[in-house]
Amino acid sequence: MSAKKEELSVVGKNWSRLDGVDKVSGRSIFTDDVRLPGMLYGKIVRSPHPSARIVSVDTSAAEALPGVKAVITAADAQGILIGMNQPLLPTKFVKFVGHEVAAVAALDEATAAAAAKLIKVEYDVLPTVLDMTKALRDDAPQLHQKAKRNVGWEENLDYGDPDAAFAACDVIREGEYVTNPSHNCYAEYHVCVADFTKAGQLTMWTPTQTALLFQKSLAAGLKLSDSDVRLLTLNSGGGFTGRTATRPHHFLAALLSRKAGRPVRIRASGDEEFTMCHAGGKVIYKLKSGATKDGRLKVVEADLLFDSGAYVESQMIVTLLTSRYLGALYPIQHARYRGRLVHTNNQPYYFHHGGGIAQFQFALGQHLDGLAQDLGLDPVEFNLLNAVEEGHTTLEGSHYASCGLKECIEKAAAKSGWKDKRGKLPKYKGIGIGIGAMASGAKGLFKHDTSAAFVKIADDGKATLFIGLPDMGQSSHTTMAIIGAEVLGITPDDFQVVSGDTASDPLDVGAFTQRGTFNTGNATRNACLDAREQLAATAARQLDVDADRLVFRDHRVYPDGEPDRAIPFKKVVYDTLHSLEGRFVMGRGFYNSPLKKGTMAYSFGAQIAEVTVDPGTGVVTVDRMTVAHDVGRAINPRIVEGQIDGQVFSGMSQALYEECVMENGQIMNPSRLDYKMPRAFEMPEVDHIIVETVDPNGPFGAKEVGEGPIVCTMPAIANAVADAVGRQVREMPMSPWRVLRAIQ
Amino acid sequence: MHKQLIKLTVNGDTHELAVAPNQTLLDVLRNELGMTGTKRGCTAGSCGVCTVNGEAGEAICSCLTLAIEWDGRAVTTIEGVQEGSELHPVQQAFLEYGAVQCGFCTPGLIMTAKALLDVNTSPTEDEISEALAGAICRCTGHIKVKKAVRRAAEMLRERDAAAR
Amino acid sequence: MQLPQFEYLKPATLSEGLAMLAEHRADVKILSGGSDLLINMKFGLDTPRYLVSFNGLEELVAIQERPDGGLRIGAACTLTDLVRDPKIETQLPALRDAIHSVGSRHIRNVGTLGGNLCLDTRCWYTNQSENWRATRDGCFKTDQELCHVIKTSTRCHALNTSDTAPMLMALDATVELSSAAGTREVPLLEFYREDGVQHTVREPEELLTAVLVPRFDGRAVFSKLAQREGLDFAAGTLAVAVTGTNEAPRSVRLVMGSIAAAPKALAGCEAILLEQGINDASIDAAASAARDALGKITNLFTPSGYKRRLIKNFVREALAELRDQAD
Repeated sequence: MSAKKEELSVVGKNWSRLDGVDKVSGRSIFTDDVRLPGMLYGKIVRSPHPSARIVSVDTSAAEALPGVKAVITAADAQGILIGMNQPLLPTKFVKFVGHEVAAVAALDEATAAAAAKLIKVEYDVLPTVLDMTKALRDDAPQLHQKAKRNVGWEENLDYGDPDAAFAACDVIREGEYVTNPSHNCYAEYHVCVADFTKAGQLTMWTPTQTALLFQKSLAAGLKLSDSDVRLLTLNSGGGFTGRTATRPHHFLAALLSRKAGRPVRIRASGDEEFTMCHAGGKVIYKLKSGATKDGRLKVVEADLLFDSGAYVESQMIVTLLTSRYLGALYPIQHARYRGRLVHTNNQPYYFHHGGGIAQFQFALGQHLDGLAQDLGLDPVEFNLLNAVEEGHTTLEGSHYASCGLKECIEKAAAKSGWKDKRGKLPKYKGIGIGIGAMASGAKGLFKHDTSAAFVKIADDGKATLFIGLPDMGQSSHTTMAIIGAEVLGITPDDFQVVSGDTASDPLDVGAFTQRGTFNTGNATRNACLDAREQLAATAARQLDVDADRLVFRDHRVYPDGEPDRAIPFKKVVYDTLHSLEGRFVMGRGFYNSPLKKGTMAYSFGAQIAEVTVDPGTGVVTVDRMTVAHDVGRAINPRIVEGQIDGQVFSGMSQALYEECVMENGQIMNPSRLDYKMPRAFEMPEVDHIIVETVDPNGPFGAKEVGEGPIVCTMPAIANAVADAVGRQVREMPMSPWRVLRAIQ
Repeated sequence: MHKQLIKLTVNGDTHELAVAPNQTLLDVLRNELGMTGTKRGCTAGSCGVCTVNGEAGEAICSCLTLAIEWDGRAVTTIEGVQEGSELHPVQQAFLEYGAVQCGFCTPGLIMTAKALLDVNTSPTEDEISEALAGAICRCTGHIKVKKAVRRAAEMLRERDAAAR
Repeated sequence: MQLPQFEYLKPATLSEGLAMLAEHRADVKILSGGSDLLINMKFGLDTPRYLVSFNGLEELVAIQERPDGGLRIGAACTLTDLVRDPKIETQLPALRDAIHSVGSRHIRNVGTLGGNLCLDTRCWYTNQSENWRATRDGCFKTDQELCHVIKTSTRCHALNTSDTAPMLMALDATVELSSAAGTREVPLLEFYREDGVQHTVREPEELLTAVLVPRFDGRAVFSKLAQREGLDFAAGTLAVAVTGTNEAPRSVRLVMGSIAAAPKALAGCEAILLEQGINDASIDAAASAARDALGKITNLFTPSGYKRRLIKNFVREALAELRDQAD
């Protein structure tokens, strides 16, 4: 299905976002902007203790406060679980700071806050365990009966014969790395509006990456049928892997609404943003790798300990994601993976941008960089020697029908001037390389990974595309319009993309695991092909040619090679509708990975970071990032660049700045000011090299770009810092004090 | 705590409003006037999504200023940036340069950039970064935003030159 | 986050405002820019019954040249106005640097000099919401005789993070405090107290109305240590002001901020430079003395030991810059 680049008329150009004008004029509606008649404001009461027994909950004073319309406690939330075993509102024990205990809805935010304060909860404080390594000891407090020694989930995988492989290696390296808790920190704080005033029917407005999964989760928890839950996602102010599952506040808002008989809005207030959904927890990586003296990597062993916090919700996905990564970049035949989610009285870990993989690559990328040096090889050489190529099948069965990893490494190295810089820079200046890959899709995580699409074409020649993929900023609506426009031979601005209402959205698993461009893109393509076929039937009759000779391009329809016989697209549509048959043009399509598990494509990339380290303060300045990424095909190059930029920022931010400083299970810096992220001053120059391998399975050859780059950024910067300082900084973020310690 | 009547001019229109002393300008814009283009973020002056322009066109965090202090004064919000149905050069540049992704911080960034460019159409790189330092953009990482601001400056200089 | 309820008072004149402060002294706060106070109020740390707004009063926003050549700066001048003022730029460029490093443009557009000098001390155990603070007992700043930073302490160790204070102290500035009873002038070097709770000598009924900066013919440097440029509270600030030559300095002032409950003038360092002149050897000695003088630095927001490790280099670089200014 791959089309040569010159044959495309729409794909590959820089089209403006369809929703751009609304966004720059303040017209775009976000959940906090929703105002419903009679709407109430909810406030959640949370445990201040990391571990305690709930002795009593007295809501009488709150209920008596004028303006309070509903109060809910554990009795109202019976049977509702967040994830596998976390009670929405526990009856007996709270297990982390911030654990929800009760909630109240009132006429205004101030009254709700005052009422929340009046809810008296008596606690009996219990011993806590806040450190993973302590939690694994026999004498540690056990958080859950079923989790022996506080291991909530364990994944062990062996591929080939790692022990024998190590025995045959000439060079072996071991190392330990740490990444620290972090938070997604989107611009839009967590918020939802629930309207559960009609019996058995819930409508909810909330930013999300997956309306489908939210719908199912809410339905299951509230004992409704899926179709009785309507998700309206409007615009989502950033996802970054943090809005992929329902959170307690979604359920609490729904319950409050049902009880009060009015819509209820709950919004994170200040530091509560860090509690409503806590992103990555601490992870310890023990790595061991072996190579033969010809420089070939043979075997990797990884033992990962994740501080999963007090409950396992959906964190177990991270062991699947990271285990896959062992053999993603290098064609090794032997590997061993052990991943354990450990319970502590910290907040339940969730995902940060990078999904656990980027953070893993901070460790693995540095570790293998070290191995390269042990072998006496330049890291670029090592990576070129070992990197996977097209046609490879990974240890767990993913097949790389397209792979531009080596091309990315070569191009990034050339553009950055690697050869002239590596080993030749003055002290405290460094250059480092990081490589990465990311799956385009979620098959294997779910039974199906389906996206569906409908398109209707009006007799003015304009199309309306219905999809179920939320646009959280990644410009997916525009990307779909471009794909559809290419198929129909019109332009993206002829499209209206309708999405964000589960009542009318076709099925779509959602915008995460980087499945959007690939899956929904293919679904869109299929739907538009279906519509095109209907139009082709009309045009074929009119032009007296076979339908498969027709070309749809530049708003015209003509037999291939005979553009002088063209009929305007609009006219073909009109004639179809106004024919005797009166056939309306409607296309439908869907896409699901045909594999039993595993996605159909991976994006690949290589990044080279150039940094300067201030030896007096340990502050790292990223001077330049050279980014090469194989995206299959850049549907909209400007968007691809924007994705790369945003991920360079996010990767750099996590690598150097971001950390939730924890004390006693509590985040000490829960604010935009103290939770550090770089801003305009700190951003480096970024060189973009878009590599197009034209994947045979992606829409017009496109693959993901939503999370591949960030996987490369963290190891690139880490390796550059190691180059500058002469020593690896093995803990992320590489804050000034950690870098300074490595220097001194 | 009594409500007080104030006269607040927003984007050229004067409104008479009853406000409580503890209502911020952000509260009043969004809740009393229904102008939700200005967003609510950290409510502590560190994220910039609530940025509006004060009387001298300066960038202000509307979450950290009391509405009652604006009696008799004027403010400009994102809703007042367009020139009729024509986008302002800052808005055009943001679109052209892909500086808009999720859009939540966009109104705040545009007001911040506009404040800079209203008084200085030839800002240095540092001046651009400095102006933007008070605002967060998680999606773009500021990279395309800075380019958009540079381009907007260029467009404004061209417009000024043409007008002369 | 919500602001608590309060009564808003807006005086038409300065004396009217001072009378209001006197009348409500037990339960009043001054509203100038508000970017510090309003956040504290949202956190429930300050809950005054009355807020008196001194915004818009003409006599508080003037920047005047004094007969002796120094400046009288109205305390309600916004930091942006001061950054742009040509008198400050030409006469006191290091002061301009200090003012310019406060917050972001957004903050400087409303924040005032008086507000920055009176900036409340910060601590990450207290500058948090009420809900957050419920995890622990209160402390000296709230309602208990206890410090979470130094558990055995008998006083509060919250940090003074004003960027303008160290620089103005190094320039020997004086603040004018006005009340219904009259005005008094207090040298800034005597204005701060080593106590995170009662961190200045200003009484509740007093308003800081002006900052008097004497004529300065020497060289000065302001340096801020922060991970992020723009909108980042400092891990440390250093202000140095010297008159005379490098070989024979007439006066030396060296003040550090963001390292304790009050900005600290480091007399030991000053003495070294005054005696030995400003050269490589004395700079090194002064830098070492700075680190030793600071002793037990309360390490808020950055891990313990980091500031101590940094101080020597930080001081050395700033002094080197100062020395080079003579060329």
